[in-house]
Amino acid sequence: MKTQLTLTPNPIPKSPPAMADGMGAVVTFHGVVRGTEDGESITAIHYEANETMVRHQFELIFAAIENQWPVESIRLVHRVGEVAVNETSLWVEITSPHRAEAFAACQFLIDEMKAKVPIWKRAVR
Amino acid sequence: MKITVKFWSYFRDLTECDETLIKIEEGETLGNLHVTVMTKFPKLAKMKNSTLKAVGVDYQTDDFVLSDGDEVSLFPPVQGG
Repeated sequence: MKTQLTLTPNPIPKSPPAMADGMGAVVTFHGVVRGTEDGESITAIHYEANETMVRHQFELIFAAIENQWPVESIRLVHRVGEVAVNETSLWVEITSPHRAEAFAACQFLIDEMKAKVPIWKRAVR
Repeated sequence: MKITVKFWSYFRDLTECDETLIKIEEGETLGNLHVTVMTKFPKLAKMKNSTLKAVGVDYQTDDFVLSDGDEVSLFPPVQGG
């Protein structure tokens, strides 16, 4: 399984799907900064990451996915620093032979990330 | 033994520092260290039950026995995405 993990302060560029022979499904997910936090308007979210641990924890999650589903590739980009409202803070792309495993792996990845990957946010008002 | 304890997110606000050096006896556990840290930084105590603890880059439980030079991270629940 191919994996690519990027932590960046820059906006996430659009990129063509990572296609490969025999892959029938590409699932992508965009996590986007909402304009409100705890009921109050905000202008941005500031993301802080414990980068070394972030990379290790994502590697553990990727390994767990490889053990459960026939996924061909995972690409993941998470922004750090300030991300304006309506911008993408998280982008995930998963390719697999069929849609069911790609959807399942994507859901699993995001659920695990939200429990284990040491990234924190702070609202900018 | 000397253990470096790093704080992340708003735990840095509560402790007013990025990290601290704690001296403990050989054989002490991560749970014991957490108690020592909360004694030094009482504002962390209100987050006791939701504090996540890692040694190096791996999460560990309170019964994990620390070694000299370990780097411990204490932080609130994560919020990526």
